Amino acid sequence: MKPQMRNLNLFLFLLLSLHFISVLSWKREEFRNCNQTPFCKRARARKPGSCSLLARHVIISDGDVTAKLLPKNHETSEDHHEINPLLLTLSLYQDGVLRLKIDEDPSLGPPKKRFEVPDVIVPEFSNNKLWLQRISTETIDGDTGPSSIVHLADGYEAVLRHDPFEVYVREKGSGNRVISLNSHGLFDFEPLTAKGEGEEWEESFRENTDTRPYGPQSISFDVSFYAADFVYGIPEHATSLALKPTRGPGVEYSEPYRLFNLDVFEYIHDSPFGIYGSIPFMISHGKSRGTSGFFWLNAAEMQIDVMGAGWDADSGISLPSEKTRIDTFWMSEAGIVDAFFFVGPGPKDVVRQYMSVTGMPAMPQLFATAYHQCRWNYRDEEDVEDVDSKFDEHNIPYDVLWLDIEHTDGKRYFTWDRMLFPHPEEMQRKLAAKGRHMVTIVDPHIKRDDSYNVHKEATKKGYYVKDASGNDFDGWCWSGSSSYPDMLNPEIRSWWADRFSFEHYVGSTPSLYIWNDMNEPSVFNGPELTMPRDALHYGDVEHRELHNAYGYYFHMATANGLVKRGEGKDRPFVLSRALFAGSQRHGAVWTGDNSAEWDHLRVSVPMVLTLGLTGLPFSGADVGGFFGNPEPELLVRWYQLGAYYPFFRAHAHHDTKRREPWLFGERNTELIRDAIHVRYTLIPYFYTLFREANTSGVPVVRPLWMEFPSEEATFSNDEAFMVGNSILVQGIYTERAKVASVYLPGRQSWYDLRTGTSYRGGMTHKLTVSEDTIPAFQRAGTIIPRKDRFRRSSTQMVNDPFTLVIALNSSQAAEGELYVDDGKSFEFEHGAYIHRRFVLSDGKLTSVNLAPASSGKSRFSSETVIERIILLGHTHSPKSALIEVTNQKVDIGLGPLWLQWGRGSAVVTVRKPGIRIADDWTIKFL
Amino acid sequence: MKPSFSVLRSLVPYLCLLFMVSPIVIRSVSAAPLEYPFLGIAPEDEKYYKTSADLINCKDGSKKFTKSQLNDDFCDCPDGTDEPGTSACPAGKFYCRNAGHFSLFLFSSRVNDGICDCCDGSDEYDGKVKCPNTCWEAGKLARDKLKKKIATYQEGAALREHEIEQAKLALTKDEAELTKLKDEEKILKGLVQQLKERKEEIEKAEEKERLQKEKEEKERKEAEEKLNKKENKAEQEVDQEIREDEDKTDSEEKPTESLHYNGVGPLEDSSLVQDVVEDTDELAAEVENGDSSENEGSMVNGVEQSAAEAKKESAVIPDSGSKGIENTEGLSKEELGRLVASRWTGENTAKQAEQVDAAKGDDHEEHEEMPRGTHDEEDDGYASETDNDNQKYDEDNDDMEDEVDEDFREDHDDSSSSYKSDSDTELDLSDTTTLSNPSWLEKIQNTVHNILRAVNLFQTPVNQSEAAQVRKEFDESSAKLSKIQSRISSLSQKLKHDFGPEKEFYSFYGRCFESKQNKYVYKVCPYKQASQEEGHTITRLGQWDKFEDSYRLMVFSNGDKCWNGPDRSLKIKLRCGLKNEVADIDEPSRCEYMALLSTPALCLDEKLKELQHKLDLMNKEQPQRHDEL
Repeated sequence: MKPQMRNLNLFLFLLLSLHFISVLSWKREEFRNCNQTPFCKRARARKPGSCSLLARHVIISDGDVTAKLLPKNHETSEDHHEINPLLLTLSLYQDGVLRLKIDEDPSLGPPKKRFEVPDVIVPEFSNNKLWLQRISTETIDGDTGPSSIVHLADGYEAVLRHDPFEVYVREKGSGNRVISLNSHGLFDFEPLTAKGEGEEWEESFRENTDTRPYGPQSISFDVSFYAADFVYGIPEHATSLALKPTRGPGVEYSEPYRLFNLDVFEYIHDSPFGIYGSIPFMISHGKSRGTSGFFWLNAAEMQIDVMGAGWDADSGISLPSEKTRIDTFWMSEAGIVDAFFFVGPGPKDVVRQYMSVTGMPAMPQLFATAYHQCRWNYRDEEDVEDVDSKFDEHNIPYDVLWLDIEHTDGKRYFTWDRMLFPHPEEMQRKLAAKGRHMVTIVDPHIKRDDSYNVHKEATKKGYYVKDASGNDFDGWCWSGSSSYPDMLNPEIRSWWADRFSFEHYVGSTPSLYIWNDMNEPSVFNGPELTMPRDALHYGDVEHRELHNAYGYYFHMATANGLVKRGEGKDRPFVLSRALFAGSQRHGAVWTGDNSAEWDHLRVSVPMVLTLGLTGLPFSGADVGGFFGNPEPELLVRWYQLGAYYPFFRAHAHHDTKRREPWLFGERNTELIRDAIHVRYTLIPYFYTLFREANTSGVPVVRPLWMEFPSEEATFSNDEAFMVGNSILVQGIYTERAKVASVYLPGRQSWYDLRTGTSYRGGMTHKLTVSEDTIPAFQRAGTIIPRKDRFRRSSTQMVNDPFTLVIALNSSQAAEGELYVDDGKSFEFEHGAYIHRRFVLSDGKLTSVNLAPASSGKSRFSSETVIERIILLGHTHSPKSALIEVTNQKVDIGLGPLWLQWGRGSAVVTVRKPGIRIADDWTIKFL
Repeated sequence: MKPSFSVLRSLVPYLCLLFMVSPIVIRSVSAAPLEYPFLGIAPEDEKYYKTSADLINCKDGSKKFTKSQLNDDFCDCPDGTDEPGTSACPAGKFYCRNAGHFSLFLFSSRVNDGICDCCDGSDEYDGKVKCPNTCWEAGKLARDKLKKKIATYQEGAALREHEIEQAKLALTKDEAELTKLKDEEKILKGLVQQLKERKEEIEKAEEKERLQKEKEEKERKEAEEKLNKKENKAEQEVDQEIREDEDKTDSEEKPTESLHYNGVGPLEDSSLVQDVVEDTDELAAEVENGDSSENEGSMVNGVEQSAAEAKKESAVIPDSGSKGIENTEGLSKEELGRLVASRWTGENTAKQAEQVDAAKGDDHEEHEEMPRGTHDEEDDGYASETDNDNQKYDEDNDDMEDEVDEDFREDHDDSSSSYKSDSDTELDLSDTTTLSNPSWLEKIQNTVHNILRAVNLFQTPVNQSEAAQVRKEFDESSAKLSKIQSRISSLSQKLKHDFGPEKEFYSFYGRCFESKQNKYVYKVCPYKQASQEEGHTITRLGQWDKFEDSYRLMVFSNGDKCWNGPDRSLKIKLRCGLKNEVADIDEPSRCEYMALLSTPALCLDEKLKELQHKLDLMNKEQPQRHDEL
């Protein structure tokens, strides 16, 4: 009897505690703050000017500037350790990219080579290198020593100041600084040292101990952005677009922005704490000069402070443009300095310059740009069939049905629970027959089960990450006791890629694509829910050195797997939760396990915008919120906003109530259907924007200031955003909102996307808000291609005719683009696409070919026509139109702006011009 | 058969009527089908378009369009009036005639989308896909299905009528019984009161007598008695304590508890208490012996009975004597992993471990490992716990219970079955003891009168046999009274229920329907509760709430709480069937269950007529021309 009683008490106690958890949600104490992170604490305690390094032996070598960094008092050092000089390399690249590397000198025999992150910089980048011939020397005002100066790009120079050591970019003539490093003398580089007798290097956090066999090895330095009003970037955080200061007098945050990929349960909506991804790329923007950027290629834990004005008041260091300068402080636990300076000067220039280093975003498959339906979990084939048929029944299009972890046989990825999914191929074929696709989840934790062939093979081949003592690392995740393939190793990535072949992934078909979750990696019983820092990877790389890139390599290997599976003919689609610089080359990302709260809806916008700014155009937040049950109003608002996310997927936790679009009464079903329909009509526009991202790096959704870089009112606006350069969207983030204040930038007017009503630009409008839609506007002077016919999925829309919506500007002109290809293969890379620019001026609309002359073997043709042209903002109404070349006259009448909401005001409509999008043509309005 | 004919088939009647054309001409029409202007229009709607006016109104009145704009693949009417046969208007509807099958209205978005939606193929005419005409075959299947359905409805409707008649009779009977019982109660109450008074008088007299008689021995005897009582009490207290301990973990002792407050119950039957306690001990012992994972499993099962979710959840945490969640330090690596995982899953970690292993079929083995002996015990626990009324009926109840249990076991192999729930025992009981024996009350009345007259109150010493008779009569009469009262209360409870507009659900009262699905057995007892059983684990899916959706839906709500989720609930859709059968139990949303119940009660006449009408239509639509083409 007694033991049972004891159990009972324990049960009750634990029950209470468990309940407590669900209320507390985010468990701050499980994650380290800066003070609990020794390198961060040490670095933050340093005083400006404490760096005593000098640049010596500045020469040109192999087309680069190289130098040695030595302490000032090198000769008279009282330090017991012999301090070896560091090697500095400055390289210059086309388009205004300066690269700075600082590492230990390998010729001086450091205990170990420090980790440089491979496979992030694209091979083409090296083609951009400028081979330096000449270096000039100058003693800058007030300096005691010289500085070395090299020409960087038109109007820009890179400067290496010798004493004290400092690197910066300045404008040629004016000498105005753009970005600088170590201007506050906070640079510090802890060299690897062999462990001495009796030295205690271990580091403990909660119940975990990190052996730290190489001792402290962190790097920190300050970076200043000049003529900057705000800084942006360094995802992933749930926080505002314009980064708030984290240090200095009266700042709101006390923690630095943390970059450490973590699986954070119920993350909160406003915090600098690190979540699933890390991109150490920061952008500054200011009204007076424009935009610049700084990227530190380093995959170790990073902490970044944005300094508030006056943080250095006592330092005695005085720098130019005191008022509009933003200082930042970068700290990393390991690795080397491999930093890139981007001169801009426009926002799109900086993004392009960054992408020249890390690669352009992949071109997604057409279907992936449509609507995705997900839930943890659609339980069985019947459930899948039921949900699928309900979409048809309610005339709501969708393209992809997702299966979460429960579809597997005991969380053994690449398998199916045959009780629930006895006929996976047939199930996928049924979806495919309606042009729909399926996505299944494949996570990196491999179940340690000897009867599971993936585990057997990985064990046999030694493909798992090792723990500090050299055994296969064993951590706990969905599948229970699990190990993790070492994705740093190209051979293992290749093996992993082969798992996706139809032969290995039994039950998969060509319409099946993949979702990579938990790839931070998430380890439920690891320190901070991830892998121990002293775990070992390929080439004796410590996990601490590459942590933030583990998910990146996993994503890469999976995407390569799908390319291999399709014999190089099918574009992969892989959604990843973890992300790093360069993830844009491998697929889409989403903002992880958010919550069904208005604040999470709100923060999704700056999160998605920030990802776009830092190279990842294909992202979105879970529509509806992952945790919790959204009120129907929140769900509807989320769909209305989510329809403009580049990645548009609804997802829900398995404890939540079902929330498929038709479950909240007829009216809400209608509202959600409308929202999804808006996305489907705009798919041609979105796809064109994805192509723009693919060629120029400019994101699909953009902060307003990217399109209006000189309008200060837009700089910190993250309630509204631009979809491409033509549509402005403002979310509704509060319950029962009656009015919304929307700032419409620029001098041109804007047209309500839904009603066609025009609004003046350059001012804030107080708008009455209805439940029908969130505010969205087309900018005057733009042309948007649409497809107005609704189908079951985007696949069936391929041959449907287009509608062009032309919003004329004050000089009765407009421009827009349309990109079309086969939507799935890589043939577009060989010129197999249609790319048109539509230009309206002087009463003539012309379609101009932007595709290269079709000399290649690969061609893409389409019979698709334009069925309707809508004119907004015309000063005199044309009566008819003449298609030149064929001399065919077409009618112009009044028609609805949107067929589905037809009874609004009528707009001038060219009826059935019937011209092919593939052709050159001109239409003259009479 | 060339696929292009499929389009033709729907057009043929019109074409023949209008043009009397040869098949060759028809073929050319099908190549450019929009030359046939009335595509996608239902026959009854054609006259709207075949107007002599130049302009046709959009049905929503927003605009007018010319005849050449009809089906010209450009949307002029926002409501789709001008484009019934194309996909140009999002709001449009396309009619396919589907001769030989049901005709159909499609969303216009299905026209020429590359997917064959109409069995006659008429929705795909742009030549991109070929849709064979499958209406004849599919229609035959559909007709056969419909015929079968009609047959079911016909038979079901008869059953339903019968049920309704029965129900009305039974209800009258119930009401009559209630009236009668109330009368009896009144009389009996009087008798019992009289007997009580007499008994008390006798006792008073006896007491007096005894006081005198046993005056000398009084002190010693009283002391002795006191001692005895004390011992007894102590013993009882020990039992009580034990039970209280279990109370929180084990509901099996509930019936024993009821025995205590049940004044009529056989107190000497404490062996039952003993049994339960022993069984629990065994269980506990097993728990102690098992390895840690099994330990959790069987612990859960042992605890499960009364199924407070809280208790189940408490099994979440491995028994490590840890300091709780906020402090995870005491946990092993694996326990920590499970614990963290459980944040997302909201499941108890023990269960999760099971799930993890489930793929290997481990859980089936686990079932085998369950101690067989406790199973019967558990059924008892279930029955007595779920039926409070029963507890008022002493030993008869146990017998009935056993019978019910036996039925259970026999039915276990069926995937679905129904049986009378325990509340039926009430009926049987009352039938035998009260209604079938109309003269018992008179007898009692007579007896009591006789006794009351015979017993001489003032006789000393008290006539022992007379006194005994009074006591016996009192005991018997008050037992009867209490039975009658509880019967009255249960009958009035019953009659308060909503048995449907025609009392067609009357027979559901006191019945349970059972369905086996994978490892779970679902029990649905209308007007009472629904539960899910897995081995020893009973989870209450909900208490009877109400009918919804005009008696097409039964709702059970406020079931056991879900961790991190809502209280469990079950909605049962009702449909026409010849037998009462529960099927297709499903959990579309966490802890919100759905099921189907076929029952004759839903075989409604008006629905039958609807189906017959549908079949008539289909038969009429059967294309005589099928063979011609």
